[in-house]
Amino acid sequence: MSMRLNHLTVSHAGTVLVEVSGLDFEPGVPVTIVGESGSGKSLLAHAIMGTLPANLMARGSLTVGRASYDLSDRTNRRGLWGPVMALLPQEPGLALDPTMRAREQVAEGAASFTTDKRGARRSAGALLASLGLGHASEAFPHTLSGGMAQRVAFAAATIGGAPVLIADEPSKGLDRQARAELAELLKRHLAGGGILLTITHDLDLARELGGDVLVMKDAHILEHGPAGHVLTDPVHPYTRRLLAAEPAHWNHAWTRAGARAVTPGEPLISGRGLAKSFGGQQLFSDLSITIGAGERVSLSGPSGSGKTTLGNVLLRLLPPDTGHVHHAGSLRGGRLQKLYQDPATAFAARVPLRDSFGDVIRRHRLKPDRLEELMASLRLAPALLHRMPGQVSGGELQRLAIIRSMLLKPALVFADEPTSRLDLITQEETVSCLMDQVDRLGAALLLVTHDEALADAVTRRRIPLGLESGAAEELKTPA
Amino acid sequence: MITPVQRAAAALLGLLVLFAVVGPLAWPDHAAQDLSRFLEPPSLAEPLGRDHLGRSVVARLAHATQLSLLMAVFCVVTALLVGAFAGITAAWRGGWIDTVLRGLSEAFIALPALLVVLIFSAVANGDLWTLYVGLALAQWVEYFRMVRSRSGLVLAGPAVEAAGMLKLGPAHIIRRHLWPDLRPLLATMATFGVGSSILALSTLGFVGIGIRPPTPELGLMVTEAFPYYHEAPWMSLAPVLVLTTILIGLLGLRNKEARL
Repeated sequence: MSMRLNHLTVSHAGTVLVEVSGLDFEPGVPVTIVGESGSGKSLLAHAIMGTLPANLMARGSLTVGRASYDLSDRTNRRGLWGPVMALLPQEPGLALDPTMRAREQVAEGAASFTTDKRGARRSAGALLASLGLGHASEAFPHTLSGGMAQRVAFAAATIGGAPVLIADEPSKGLDRQARAELAELLKRHLAGGGILLTITHDLDLARELGGDVLVMKDAHILEHGPAGHVLTDPVHPYTRRLLAAEPAHWNHAWTRAGARAVTPGEPLISGRGLAKSFGGQQLFSDLSITIGAGERVSLSGPSGSGKTTLGNVLLRLLPPDTGHVHHAGSLRGGRLQKLYQDPATAFAARVPLRDSFGDVIRRHRLKPDRLEELMASLRLAPALLHRMPGQVSGGELQRLAIIRSMLLKPALVFADEPTSRLDLITQEETVSCLMDQVDRLGAALLLVTHDEALADAVTRRRIPLGLESGAAEELKTPA
Repeated sequence: MITPVQRAAAALLGLLVLFAVVGPLAWPDHAAQDLSRFLEPPSLAEPLGRDHLGRSVVARLAHATQLSLLMAVFCVVTALLVGAFAGITAAWRGGWIDTVLRGLSEAFIALPALLVVLIFSAVANGDLWTLYVGLALAQWVEYFRMVRSRSGLVLAGPAVEAAGMLKLGPAHIIRRHLWPDLRPLLATMATFGVGSSILALSTLGFVGIGIRPPTPELGLMVTEAFPYYHEAPWMSLAPVLVLTTILIGLLGLRNKEARL
């Protein structure tokens, strides 16, 4: 069975959000759409599924096997969900029902669930066991690691036997090992003669899947071809820019290759004999770390390895189980700052940004010019300050968070996965804003990331965590 | 933002407040008896006639409305201030302060609210201040528990942690983090609180253990007028109408936040 998309347009109040003239899907050949946030790639997937928001208009048609469907009718593909078409959602941790055990929610997707519940549960159990989750079939989603939750979601999406699988940003928030496992699952679906459409901004995943790659920007497909060709020798300038935005290809004054070697100054933070455990799981023990002035250190490791926890212990936001953390006097008075993974949660949610910034300026008697100067040098429009944090895009808000932390001229900045929710181009822009400021102030940087290429590009010293293999596989004990 | 329903409710409440403010000035004497005018029907000078002791019903109604509204507002403001202050303190300081305050609030929750009021009015029979203290005591618990749990979430969040790293101090945290988060919640709770205080006050009056008789009170007026319902139905219906108007107005005022 093959699938074809003809003349799709998605529009909102006259603005065209997606325009694709035609797209062919063959069994066994993965199709991957890459592009930055807002390029319309997720909308394309939802237009095929028939799950677009009601205020968006779709036109065009979809041919599945011999049947043809009008895309402007949102309801005519409901019968296909499960037996013919399935969607693997973003962030499985949020997509799974938190009140249902893994096997139970996978069983609901089986075609026989309404007639034969016991049989459906049996086949759900068998499917989970074949994915290496036999021990987790009675577990609730919040006790699963990101990679395991992704496998449960995969089981729930494919138990209906759908030959067409659409995966929307499946690798978001996954570390390298979990991503490799995910790619393996998707390839397994292809090997069974399935059709696969993957939407992602993760070029490594696109490389791993192979097949056809489409590059999307501003509602249109810019480049289309085999993965090996498009992702190594691109024709379109935008694709080249996308590839250059991968941390491994960065070329800035502050990247490790080009930067001058700095001998670390006086120790700012020194921790001795640190240990911390959560819910019976030892995250780290007998760890001693010193971070000197002007140093750039990264904490890397898979999810759940305690990177963020160690960072918070070093910042004295969390008490260690044993050991002691000492801060130099030069960190007092707000000269130690933190950047968060989700900047939207780091600002007072119901207050305009201008008031949040105004408080910092008034409290520390700063010159208001300093804010304007930073806004200009990070290429942000002053009008952004009149909005609420929720009305600013993730990349811009993270840059505003950088500005806020730089107002106090910090001696050390702790950045906790500052770009893991951003696409490649936005990530490069955000990191270079951060590094320009860090360079200018001569501040030390402590970066937490699961992206080793990013850690290598930005920092000179890496502290790896969670090397014991299989630790991430264990079920977390509920807190 | 403001729906037509809310506008109508506000107008209704506005009229009522006007009556409570202007009424006692227009009909100042609610206690003067004139037995020769026993159960006089409504006229232009006396829009609601006279009661079984020949007192002006409209004067008594105006004074009773004023009393109910004032008492309810004072009770709610007291309960809100005490509850919010205790809730923020418990969430902020934690430790033994939190344990003590939570234990106290649980003790109050275990008692029915009306029982608290009854105990207080039995202790000092029918004084205004005992009713005030009783009603406020019965109500502070809900503000405390709501504010404590909500503040706990906000204070533990990254936004407050970031404010701490920026050394912005407690005033900033209260003004920019706690207050904007709590304000809509407290506004909704206070609206309902005023309604339930008025009802509680008139319930006590109705069963004869509220404010002492010569002072006009809505519940008491209903009870006093019942024996004469067939001769003068307007006498018992007028206070009921006032109560209904207040409650409908308060219900209509609530916004989206109430349904969250």
